[in-house]
Amino acid sequence: MSGSQKPLELILARNLLTSVTTPSLLVGRGGQLLFYNEAAGALLGRPFEDVGQMAPDEWTRAFGPFEDDGSPTPIEDLPLTDALREGRPAHGEFRIRFSDGAYHRIAASAMPIVGGGDGASGAMVIFWPVDDEKAREVTTGRHEVVR
Amino acid sequence: MRVKVWGARGSVPAPGPEMNRYGGNTSCCEVTLSSGETLILDAGTGIRTLGFSLPPDLPRINILLTHLHLDHIQGLMFFPPCFRAESSIRIWGPSSPEASLEARIARYISAPLSPVEVRELPCEVSFLDAPASEWQIGSATIRAEAVTHRGPTLGFRITDGDTTLCYIPDHEPGLGAALGELDPEWISGFNLACDADLLIHDCQYTDEEYPGHEGWGHSPIDDTITFARRVGAKRVLLFHHDPLHTDGFLDDLHRSAAARWVSLGGSEGAVEIAQERAEIVVEASGTGEETAPAPVSSTKVPAPANQVSV
Repeated sequence: MSGSQKPLELILARNLLTSVTTPSLLVGRGGQLLFYNEAAGALLGRPFEDVGQMAPDEWTRAFGPFEDDGSPTPIEDLPLTDALREGRPAHGEFRIRFSDGAYHRIAASAMPIVGGGDGASGAMVIFWPVDDEKAREVTTGRHEVVR
Repeated sequence: MRVKVWGARGSVPAPGPEMNRYGGNTSCCEVTLSSGETLILDAGTGIRTLGFSLPPDLPRINILLTHLHLDHIQGLMFFPPCFRAESSIRIWGPSSPEASLEARIARYISAPLSPVEVRELPCEVSFLDAPASEWQIGSATIRAEAVTHRGPTLGFRITDGDTTLCYIPDHEPGLGAALGELDPEWISGFNLACDADLLIHDCQYTDEEYPGHEGWGHSPIDDTITFARRVGAKRVLLFHHDPLHTDGFLDDLHRSAAARWVSLGGSEGAVEIAQERAEIVVEASGTGEETAPAPVSSTKVPAPANQVSV
């Protein structure tokens, strides 16, 4: 028996995100990366299938967000932590590393996902570039899916 | 463990001469445990006739409701033990942040839909949220988990000694998901059904009917069989028949499902179809090569030849 089966609300959230064309990711209760969609894979440079699930410090080290000095922003400072801890939506702007290797500014909104148990069982994060050129690529669908 | 089917129909009762063999009553199964205790799975219209068959001195009756859609609770108000003062009935069901289980069931057992109110029932009745962790009834260990359907819906895993029955009558695990390719942890109901000796599962539609009903909470043949193979079920009982499906249609649906099962490497005769009053002995069938097969490719099965249009 698989001991780590995801709660139904996370299964449904992942199904939904596969149909969302805005870059989005799904994190678990502890901040671990559970899934990101094709649009996010295009920005980050790697499809989720190549990356798999990651611990919080792993995915923030790989993708960011990063501080101005290049160090990863602590996960406690991300809006998704508010979403998970306080069960409320949160929003912020950050620098992350895209598939072109360069740092870009993004806006990110995190929404808690609540099921039958206590507190949030995870959160959905939708993000998009806010520096002009990348933002134009995403909003016009001009990004390529990396396989 | 023994299972007796008292209603296998989904959505709405479907009486009529063309339905006589499989029956027209909605979801209800009686499970007799090795300890002699009786569990009732869902309270569709089949529970009415089940109620007449129970000994009047049965000390306690446990009813496990997967959800509160009408085809799963409609028979409650006509369940003979409800009207006996000496009956003790425990009803287990999904919790909801919106209202208690009793309050939600009382919407049906109250005016103007019903001539009686819950508080007027002479029996001793209690309403219990299915616990998040396993619990014990008689010799059975029971686990309930939420599954993909419309509204809060549970599936049940019932283990009695070394034998396991899984009951998921309303389930659409393939909604927005490629069941043949997903990791098990992302498949709704996987842990409930894993290695079950008997899996009673939704198979309301043919693959051709399904596109017109996607998102309604029920499975087509291909998803039912793919799910059953992925979880390593030893036997499958196709359940929750569409009210439009006649006996002849269900015969063909059964043949299509059995062929699909064999094409995915399952053994002959392991796919059965629920028929009212049928009794099934559930026995431990061991583990081994049948356990949790590798991902399978999904191929649609042709529709039965005698499909009816209504």
